[in-house]
Amino acid sequence: MSLEQKNYLKKIRLEKIKITLSQLLIIILFLLLWEFLVNLEIISAFIYSSPSRIINTIIELISNNNFFIHIYTTLKEVIISFILGISLGFIIATILYEFKLLAKIIDPFLTMLNSLPKVALGPLIIIIFGANTKSIIIMALLINLIVSIITIYNGFQNTDEYRLKLFKTMKATKIQTLLYLVIPSSYQTIISSFKLCIAQTLIGVIMGEFLVSKQGIGYLIVYGKQVFNLNLVMTGIILLAIISYILYKLIVMLEKKLLKHI
Amino acid sequence: MNNLIEVKNLTKNYHTKEGEIEALKDINLNIQKGDIISLVGPSGCGKSTLLSLIADLDKDVFCGSVIKNDNLKIAYMLQSDALLPWLTIYENAILGLKIQNKLTKEYLDYVEYLLEFYNLKDFKDKYPKSLSGGMKQRVALIRTLALKPDLLLLDEPFSALDQQSRLLISDDVYKILKKENKTVILVTHSIEEAITFSNKVIVLSKRPAVIKSIIEINIKNNETIYERRKDINYHKYFDSIWKDLDTNES
Repeated sequence: MSLEQKNYLKKIRLEKIKITLSQLLIIILFLLLWEFLVNLEIISAFIYSSPSRIINTIIELISNNNFFIHIYTTLKEVIISFILGISLGFIIATILYEFKLLAKIIDPFLTMLNSLPKVALGPLIIIIFGANTKSIIIMALLINLIVSIITIYNGFQNTDEYRLKLFKTMKATKIQTLLYLVIPSSYQTIISSFKLCIAQTLIGVIMGEFLVSKQGIGYLIVYGKQVFNLNLVMTGIILLAIISYILYKLIVMLEKKLLKHI
Repeated sequence: MNNLIEVKNLTKNYHTKEGEIEALKDINLNIQKGDIISLVGPSGCGKSTLLSLIADLDKDVFCGSVIKNDNLKIAYMLQSDALLPWLTIYENAILGLKIQNKLTKEYLDYVEYLLEFYNLKDFKDKYPKSLSGGMKQRVALIRTLALKPDLLLLDEPFSALDQQSRLLISDDVYKILKKENKTVILVTHSIEEAITFSNKVIVLSKRPAVIKSIIEINIKNNETIYERRKDINYHKYFDSIWKDLDTNES
């Protein structure tokens, strides 16, 4: 390896370290400032809680055997809704792609559903499906499904026309064109739809938990609010932030693995 | 004579919201085995439409007839290489075989031979993004030839390439077409390409396209494109094609 190449690689590594360190620094500074301001009673500990109080709350939750059950409940709901959302979205997008007339017919309805604030349907869902996990999952599905359908369908439609013509000249069947061309060339969009979908799913699940649940992080937040234990509310928010970051990162890792050659 | 394809009184109209467009009008054409025919004509005159009709790509109605043997294998090569970036060079080369369920030893051996011939053997397991434009077009050609077609339709196959790759690859293509004694219809914008490639140049008029003239090219020295270009009659052919094209423009 030449000296120049070495220096170049060193520069890239150095930049990466710089970015990571700065990010850590921002988090540490933020937490310190928060703790500090609360301790000096510049902001109210009752309303804003503080990092040490949050850690204590977490320890308390763990010792009461309450911590993991809430995370487990929320994660379970998120994963079920996410998988249902992307698979149903994928299937419906495929059907719409194969039957263009159908796509044209339902287009305005999809648009309408997409812009409707789904939380407005909450009360209705609870009445129809009862105050249980099913309602939460349906709430999340309503929110993530439309986005998945629209993104994946758009990906399918953007298939390169030369490649489509190529398949036509090879007399490929509709299924072959779909499997060998349309779906693989939409990998990028499908992964993007995963990213959108996971964010939407979290919104849906937490919204659902606000409305009906007896367990889960959403429940923790609502319960904390009701008993005016804002340490609990803050803990819930922090946990959610961490969970959503981890889920997003998992999808990015999947993306890197799948899209190596594109 | 040994007619591979007979096009009789072919007329084709396109329908759009704005109205009807006459694309082809009363085209008559015989293609014999071993022919290399070039189609030249002004942009948008319907050359590609004619190819689509010959290859059965266009399911819409047309008048007239395209008579051919049902078992005639036709393969198409497009302007864009249209390689699939998520497949390796080898997987791209056998794509047509996979689609048509022809992954037999005979066909696969032929692909190996073609990859060797075009110096692409070392790139078999690479992905298209690591190849140059000329190499990609070569892979596209292998993908087309792999099907062992009786008739090859080349739709401006070199027009997206730079001049240098264009000369190199067209020489390669010419060599292999001659060697395998393929029947070819080439759509091109380049008069030079038309003369150096074919034994017959068909000049189409602007829309609605009719056959303006059919110019027979008789060049004795057939080995390479370079030699064909040096033929004493080259300029004579060039002038007569140009004249037919030119009067169309006015």
